Amino acid sequence: MQAEVRTRMLRAGLLSGLALAAAPAHAFIAYVSNEKGNTVSVIDTESWTVTKTIKVGQRPRGIEFTRDGKFVMVAVGDDDTIQVIDAKTQSVVDSLPSGPDPELFAQDAAGKILYVANENDNTVTVIDLEKRARLGDIQVGVEPEGMTISPDGKTLINTSETTNMAHFIDTSSRQIVANVLVDARPRFAEFRHDSSELWVSSEIGGTVSVIDPRKHEVIGKVTFEIPGLRREAIQPVGIGMTRDDKTAFIALGPANRIAVVDTATRKVTKYLLVGQRVWHMAFTPDEKYLLTTNGVSNDVSVIDVAAQKVIKTIQVGELPWGITIAP
Amino acid sequence: MMFRIVTIAAVALAVAGTAARAADQRYPDWPCTQAKVPEISLAAVWAGPPLDDVQNKWKDNEKVAALVAKLSARKTPLDEAEKSVKEFLAGSAADKAANAKLLFAGLFDTLNAQRSQVMNGLERVSRKQREAADKIREEAVQLQALQGATPRDEAKVEALSNDLIWKTRIFEDRHKVVRFVCEVPTAIDQRLFALGRVIQQEME
Repeated sequence: MQAEVRTRMLRAGLLSGLALAAAPAHAFIAYVSNEKGNTVSVIDTESWTVTKTIKVGQRPRGIEFTRDGKFVMVAVGDDDTIQVIDAKTQSVVDSLPSGPDPELFAQDAAGKILYVANENDNTVTVIDLEKRARLGDIQVGVEPEGMTISPDGKTLINTSETTNMAHFIDTSSRQIVANVLVDARPRFAEFRHDSSELWVSSEIGGTVSVIDPRKHEVIGKVTFEIPGLRREAIQPVGIGMTRDDKTAFIALGPANRIAVVDTATRKVTKYLLVGQRVWHMAFTPDEKYLLTTNGVSNDVSVIDVAAQKVIKTIQVGELPWGITIAP
Repeated sequence: MMFRIVTIAAVALAVAGTAARAADQRYPDWPCTQAKVPEISLAAVWAGPPLDDVQNKWKDNEKVAALVAKLSARKTPLDEAEKSVKEFLAGSAADKAANAKLLFAGLFDTLNAQRSQVMNGLERVSRKQREAADKIREEAVQLQALQGATPRDEAKVEALSNDLIWKTRIFEDRHKVVRFVCEVPTAIDQRLFALGRVIQQEME
């Protein structure tokens, strides 16, 4: 009798455990900018389908949710502005005063200030997000591109494509305090969550530089090698780092792969074939999935982060570029 | 009338000028704004097992050869092609891995060859266009001379004008076709990648 009860309890426990495991993951909403299609695709992460396609301005690239999750900002470079999409109505409701040809932007931790890289006039525009007004400009190198803010909010990083530098900008004085030379055409910058390192990808150099943000020195480099692929086909762009800072995912452009990197050894542990010209990426907030934009195959790949496997492909608009997921 | 002819010639010459400029010095005849990638490398589209042992063998397998022909045809819609891949591999039972490799080897050879053909054709047309542009330029100069001559030979002016109109029209039409065909190599890349991805997923 007792044994039977125990078995029953055990079975019930197992069943509930199974039920938990089988329960659908929390649904999130991802927004993808389609550079050539001049649209933004909205993806539901429960059904993994495109639920809406929003018409936006010309050449949408950088895209990010506001910190409160209420709006999505998208840089429409050829219209020289940043459009604001209301996440509730999923339509464009406003625009922000950037400089000419905005490409990427970063916001401070509080979500009050936005820093925009304007590719055409070598400046970073500072915008007050509440007033939606321009506060000023910072002169940087030629063709500013990558943008990120240190976790403490004190340092803004901007990379310039032609000058091949990562500029360290003090956010309170809005002055450049240091320049670090990296490999050719730096594209994207990402801090470790513990602030100990800044990673900068170089599209033409084919490397990711690891920078000590206090000493402003390159302390290591991540390199890539894929048998059968020419070196110039390996073009690192987007970088994503898990919250525990143990694993980095790096998009390799026309190599059509994501490199999985052990941040301790700075070595690639695995390459995942995703889609053609993989560019940027975003984690779901629970960090179960990583979504990548694949420009030439016009789709988004879904990677199971724990299993390090591609589990799904979703067709989106023409030339998907950036991606952001609701917080 | 005369004004129109001169305008047409000028437009054609402007177009010819842009068509003649190659973005990549290595490929002076390449007429497209898209970068020329002479060949798709296997590693860019395939992360599965090596294909060394199946190279060329796909042609000996009738079923695979027929399927390769069907899937490579651009008239076969991509979703239909992907479905055919899945059905074929689902019905392959124990031979699944071997068949998957054969099928991809076949697609890789065939689509790469198709792509080279299209690119060679584009370069051939681009050379012809350059010759045509030279001819139009030459005739436009001749026409101007004829128009300015006294006495003016109206019959000759008329004949040369008509000839110029035709040559310009052919040039412009061909230019439009080239721009359209420039999309084809990318479309083939996309097809090869998409089919390769389905095959690899089915192998897992």
